[in-house]
Amino acid sequence: MKLLIKGGRIINPAENMDVVGDILIENGKIAAIGSSCPAAGAEIIDAAGLVVTPGLVDMHVHLREPGLEAKEDIASGTRAAAAGGFTTIACMPNTRPAIDSSIVVAGLTQRAKTEGVVKLKIIGALSKGLEGRELAEIGDMIESGAVAISDDGGHLDSTRLLKTGLEYTGMFGRPVITHSEDEGLANEGFMHEGAVSAVLGLKGRPAVAEDIAVARDIMLAEYANAPIHIAHVSSKGAVEIIRQAKQRGVKVTAEATPHHLTLTDEELRTFNTAFKVNPPLRSAEHVAALIDGLKDGTLDAIATDHAPHAFEEKDVEFRYAPSGFAGLETAVGVVLTGLYHTGKLTLPEIIAKLSYGPAKILGLDSGVLKVGAPADITIIDTEYKWAVDCIKFYTRGKHSPFESRNLKGKPLITIVNGSIIMQNGEVLK
Amino acid sequence: MSKAQVSLRKKDILGLEAMPAAEMELILDTAKEMKNIIDRDIKKAPTLRGKAIVNLFFENSTRTRTSFELAGKYLGADVINISTSSSSVAKGESLRDTLLTVEAMGVDIIVMRHEAEGSAQFAANIARPVIINAGDGAHEHPTQGLLDMFTIKQFKGRLAGLKVAIVGDILHSRVARSNVWGLQKMGAEVHLAGPQTLLPREIEKIGIQVHNRVEDALDQADVVNVLRIQRERQQKGLFPSAREYARIFGINAKRLALAKQDALLMHPGPMNRGLEIAPDIAYGDQSAIQEQVKNGLAVRMALLFLVLMGGTHIEAAH
Ligand SMILES: [Zn+2]
Repeated sequence: MKLLIKGGRIINPAENMDVVGDILIENGKIAAIGSSCPAAGAEIIDAAGLVVTPGLVDMHVHLREPGLEAKEDIASGTRAAAAGGFTTIACMPNTRPAIDSSIVVAGLTQRAKTEGVVKLKIIGALSKGLEGRELAEIGDMIESGAVAISDDGGHLDSTRLLKTGLEYTGMFGRPVITHSEDEGLANEGFMHEGAVSAVLGLKGRPAVAEDIAVARDIMLAEYANAPIHIAHVSSKGAVEIIRQAKQRGVKVTAEATPHHLTLTDEELRTFNTAFKVNPPLRSAEHVAALIDGLKDGTLDAIATDHAPHAFEEKDVEFRYAPSGFAGLETAVGVVLTGLYHTGKLTLPEIIAKLSYGPAKILGLDSGVLKVGAPADITIIDTEYKWAVDCIKFYTRGKHSPFESRNLKGKPLITIVNGSIIMQNGEVLK
Repeated sequence: MSKAQVSLRKKDILGLEAMPAAEMELILDTAKEMKNIIDRDIKKAPTLRGKAIVNLFFENSTRTRTSFELAGKYLGADVINISTSSSSVAKGESLRDTLLTVEAMGVDIIVMRHEAEGSAQFAANIARPVIINAGDGAHEHPTQGLLDMFTIKQFKGRLAGLKVAIVGDILHSRVARSNVWGLQKMGAEVHLAGPQTLLPREIEKIGIQVHNRVEDALDQADVVNVLRIQRERQQKGLFPSAREYARIFGINAKRLALAKQDALLMHPGPMNRGLEIAPDIAYGDQSAIQEQVKNGLAVRMALLFLVLMGGTHIEAAH
């Protein structure tokens, strides 16, 4: 079976490639990349005017399986990923039970083969039951396929546990991913602390709570000489701390989310719970610092932190609503609208953060276009205009801070192992 | 614009941040007329006969609830009180369910007090009856803001140009926020003072002056509005002791003397005498605290009247 993607703008950040040309796919693998590939017997996708990129990688999603399937499961979550242009996603372990043993990792891997439509990578818990007390069986999980280790969903209070976790995980060459925000300082707050929280009377989570935790976590990684990845960076201070650490050679990587890159705490003035997230949406100066961080390489990846919740859980007073919302299906549109069409980042820069960057952090062989590699490809129309309608999402999470917004840019086709799994917004499997 | 042309723009009364000055003036003018009813022997005006008001209180507040209840009754409306703790949420009944249940009973106004910021906005998005915010967490308490303005106007004849000092726990105070918006729009100069731990960060960005030294806020003030200090804040480590608070931030005769000689002393109640306010001045010549209670009733009558009678001025409605 042959597929020819013809005449698209091919952006392959791993090789600084940005050319107009064809990609030939044979037997699920990339057979040729060039200015003109042989078309004999191939089904042809006309990609003229479209952007052809390595299959996008989202290294931070919450699939909710096992245990919280009413919010999401592998079937719905991977379909949302396909609709969003992602061919590989990595899921966080804060499920019930937590993904804290090789049995759960193996079970999910098995389920992903039958239920999933995109490639699913699993992140194992750092501590047993995510309780922050004892190390989980990290080595076992990694040998069963876990690509990273994290207690994401909350901050790791115990400095000692994080130190041992980094030392132990580091032996396997895998990163620990941290949600870095000092809970004592964040003090059960509901939003970013600043002028808006002052007006709304909502208890704030100060940016310094993130700065301090990021500094601590990086110092421990430096001490342990182990890789650390800072999830969903949202503060100006954190960006600067990561920048300095990278300069002195610490093995630190970091990600930012589409929402932290494009929204501010001003959105909370209506008390709309769709904007409630952790870390919280911050003020414009923080957003600007994040964009600078992406631009200069301080931040390596854009990750959605896709965190779906059941509708009625979010349909409550602001302080009682859970944090997080669906992110997979809006990510490309939001990032292109907010960063590309505004001239803040170039297309190759953005594609790198959505594919090669995260793949490299997780040690995946995806995120690149090369002959002989599995044909995971995303085709994007950067000019496509659409309005977000949560009801139409494939994810079970029907809340999005971008609901009803007009976006420009959308993935049109998602190809996994040479098969088209999404076309024009419709997931085909 | 003549008064008769002003009307309340929105269905609901959620806060003073979004309320135009002209509407506040309309409410204050109407309250003046309502106050005459309170002073009558027979405190009944049949204006709201056949209308139903529910006081939906998720948080205890005898003072505000009673004030709304009497305001409705003096105007002839049927008023019922539903006091429920937000533990009903734990029992599985969401705020949405509660509001829809009350709405189904055909009420015209829901007066709501709730500990969560934005809950009044949430209610207004869901329920068809008029929502009057009787305090949502630390966000707003618009009727308290209005009654404070009404009281100041009664004693000072105006609001524009006055220096108003608001002292105490600004961080957790819906009263402070509603006062700030209302007074600012009416042209008063607002100064906030309190320990740094009880001041919201970046509050100065909304164009008010903020002080840690109470004395600086009080200096030549026309009005001193003292906020209630909740002793739980001490357990949370926001100030070291009641004794120290009273000594450094409490309003006593000596500090009050820094304000103008005829400065007005206010407090939204209930007071912790000896903590945020000294007993002698609480009942002294400068105190408007009793009058505030009476004015609260008048303002709430005015508001109920205006929201139910299409929001037109009382004279135009006659
Ligand atoms: Zn997190």
